[in-house]
Amino acid sequence: MKLSDCYNFSDFRKLAKKKLPSPIFHYIDGAADDEITYRRNTSAFDDVDLVPNVLRGVENVDLSTTIFGKKLDLPFYLAPTALQRLFHYDGERAVGKAAQKFNTMFGVSALATVSVEEISSMIDTPKMFQFYFHKDRGLNDSCLERAKAAKFDVMALTVDTITGGNRERDLRTGFTSPPKLTLSSLFSFATKPMWGINYLTRGKFELPHLQDYVKEGTSTNTSIGNYFSTMLDQSMNWNDAEKLCSQWGGHFALKGVMSVEDAKRAVDIGCTGIMVSNHGGRQLDGSRSPFDQLAEIVDAVGDKLDVICEGGIHRGTHILKALSIGAKACSGGRLYLYALAAAGQAGVERALDQYRKELERDMKLMGCTKISDLNRDNLKFRNK
Amino acid sequence: MNLKDCHNFNDFRKLAKKKLPSPIFHYIDGGADDEITLKRNTSSFDKCDLIPNVLAGVNKPDLSTTIFGRKIDMPIFLSPTAMQRLYDPEGDKASARAAEKFGTMYGMSTMATTSIEEIANVSSGPKLFQLYIHKDKSLTDDLIERCKRANFDGLCLTVDTIVAGNRERDYKTGFTTPPKLTLKSLIEFGIKPKWVLNYFINRKFELANVKHITDKGTNITKSVIDYVNEQYDPQMNWNDAEYCIKKWNGPFALKGVMSVEDAKKAIDIGCTAIIISNHGGRQLDGSISPFDQLKNISDAVGDKLEIILDGGVRRGTHILKAIAAGAKACSFGKMFLFSLAAGGQAGVERALQNIHDELKRNMLLMGCKNLKELNQSKIIYRK
Ligand SMILES: Cc1cc2nc3c(=O)[nH]c(=O)nc-3n(C[C@H](O)[C@H](O)[C@H](O)COP(=O)(O)O)c2cc1C
Ligand SMILES: Cc1cc2nc3c(=O)[nH]c(=O)nc-3n(C[C@H](O)[C@H](O)[C@H](O)COP(=O)(O)O)c2cc1C
Repeated sequence: MKLSDCYNFSDFRKLAKKKLPSPIFHYIDGAADDEITYRRNTSAFDDVDLVPNVLRGVENVDLSTTIFGKKLDLPFYLAPTALQRLFHYDGERAVGKAAQKFNTMFGVSALATVSVEEISSMIDTPKMFQFYFHKDRGLNDSCLERAKAAKFDVMALTVDTITGGNRERDLRTGFTSPPKLTLSSLFSFATKPMWGINYLTRGKFELPHLQDYVKEGTSTNTSIGNYFSTMLDQSMNWNDAEKLCSQWGGHFALKGVMSVEDAKRAVDIGCTGIMVSNHGGRQLDGSRSPFDQLAEIVDAVGDKLDVICEGGIHRGTHILKALSIGAKACSGGRLYLYALAAAGQAGVERALDQYRKELERDMKLMGCTKISDLNRDNLKFRNK
Repeated sequence: MNLKDCHNFNDFRKLAKKKLPSPIFHYIDGGADDEITLKRNTSSFDKCDLIPNVLAGVNKPDLSTTIFGRKIDMPIFLSPTAMQRLYDPEGDKASARAAEKFGTMYGMSTMATTSIEEIANVSSGPKLFQLYIHKDKSLTDDLIERCKRANFDGLCLTVDTIVAGNRERDYKTGFTTPPKLTLKSLIEFGIKPKWVLNYFINRKFELANVKHITDKGTNITKSVIDYVNEQYDPQMNWNDAEYCIKKWNGPFALKGVMSVEDAKKAIDIGCTAIIISNHGGRQLDGSISPFDQLKNISDAVGDKLEIILDGGVRRGTHILKAIAAGAKACSFGKMFLFSLAAGGQAGVERALQNIHDELKRNMLLMGCKNLKELNQSKIIYRK
């Protein structure tokens, strides 16, 4: 199997599985507890049917949308995800360049393995910095100032990781970052020699946004779950978010809002967007899927800030369904991460191109030429 | 595989399967008929979504609740289950000690293999006694008196076992207590020599609470199914339940209530609690799952008695959903029985620790400071 055999989400996933040492594959692929929410994030789309209109003259389709004051050529963007150089040695460099090529937004995690400075010198496509609220206020200020200096367009504060989720696959594989070599992981790493060679020869693995603030050999050396539980400030509250929002002074979003009540409060503290998200099912299993919850939130705050539907997206039609309900855009992690692991920048570009083609084709089949043509009349809910 | 590889229900179950002779494993694992209800008890939780609140500034969530007049440190306790010494040589003692360590309640079955008095000696933690009404009525008075003397906190009367359920796995494996050694079972027991050894070198196996009244207690040569059908009183009715309540004169529950109507009657006869349960899917297959029925019952009677949800609970989030729907606490059987079989007291402690950690983590992720904040506004049922 190679890149040219990848036509959809599960093809990229399969190829990524072949290329990655298993602890790393399962770190991407896994979710919390029984992964019920993870599966529901995608299957929720199946409970809604698209109702097309015919004979509309749909030769030219415009997929662009505007979020956070920036026009994107695609109605979805790349959600911030940690540790990308573990998945492919180019990591964020590959993903950022692919985002630039398709003129969509690139989300950069606080746990990125390439610095905000390097990313902004490399691409000028819209950029979002994803912020984790640490106990160490110096670290918080440093992240914020650096993202500001690097001219990032949006700051997104992640609010659904107040403690680490129960990722049982990681418990079994012993996933840590940087990879810890146990006997069973050693075996898995040994069976993927290319990954190992690249990991050792393509530049040191580091977390540039944190490293000045973590003592040698301590926190970055532990699992991601430990990072959440030990370095992040669990007492984070609405005041902290409000302060950050004004300290940033630009477009500011909360990432991981699921209740209508919280969405309204986000408006009150000055947010210009929210990501309706459960972190790809990686945190609270049993929690509602973003798509199931989307309509209520759009109805409450859709006219006051940009509502992004994030997670579970495997197809162009999933995006069309979310946009029809009223999301301004969608975003996803795994939809480009497997492609990154499968083939670096070329992989991400192939994935993005396929989503673009799917969106264009499906817009035509729906009888729509621009995103604003989509509305709830396009949808029928099976259970309502 | 060993105990430290056990992170969830399936892991404990797998390890228990390795350690137990198969008739015993299947006695725990099995349900009635086609086991539809058994499966639904757990899958019904998946049709309900949690809605978290963010930025709530919760540092240390309080997991405590009060049932049967006792405060427990987390809203999950051990359902009363029969014959625990078949699963681990220490049996009920191991369970009771583990429960006490985690500040929660241990439930003792009438069919326990350790006596009321012995358990009172090893644990001063919260204790619930589960009553079956035998045809021999003097047994009921005797058990209630002994529970009083042993300072049990609550009593529950199981009302869903008027006859034995159709546990087809037990027919196939020939499960009896004490284990009857047929050629087939001999082979099965023979490949778990450690279990057999424990069984023979430890104290004699008996139904410690009833042995002095019924000789069946020391030597049930027939199956559990036959025991239930021969010994329990199928005429049991609301008057008998009321009799027990008066006699006990303390916190009292009916275990196995499934209809709103019966829940209301339970209030009328003086119950302080009900345990919504279908006996873990071991009795009437096709009956509604406790979680599917919880909201209806709690909307009707939740302000008048304590509701305990029993059956299908495997995860911290299942418990949070039940609390949000109106339960005061949950109880589980198989979850801790498999951990008991997998690792004795240490096994049960690990299972309780896992559940405790899940509860705490998930309260943080829900943004809830205490169980009162978990109400029906935090859940949405999907169709
Ligand atoms: C491997 C991986 C790493 C992630 N790292 C982060 C992170 O560092 N910060 C963050 O806010 N979200 C992180 N996320 C969550 C994503 O931003 C996004 O919410 C999620 O991937 C959406 O679900 P999807 O993968 O089904 O599209 C991560 C997700 C994955 C799969
Ligand atoms: C092996 C086993 C033995 C049981 N014995 C009794 C019993 O003696 N008395 C009783 O009221 N319930 C008994 N139960 C039912 C439990 O109290 C409880 O209702 C049931 O296990 C809950 O379902 P769960 O196993 O899915 O948690 C037993 C259950 C099992 C699995």
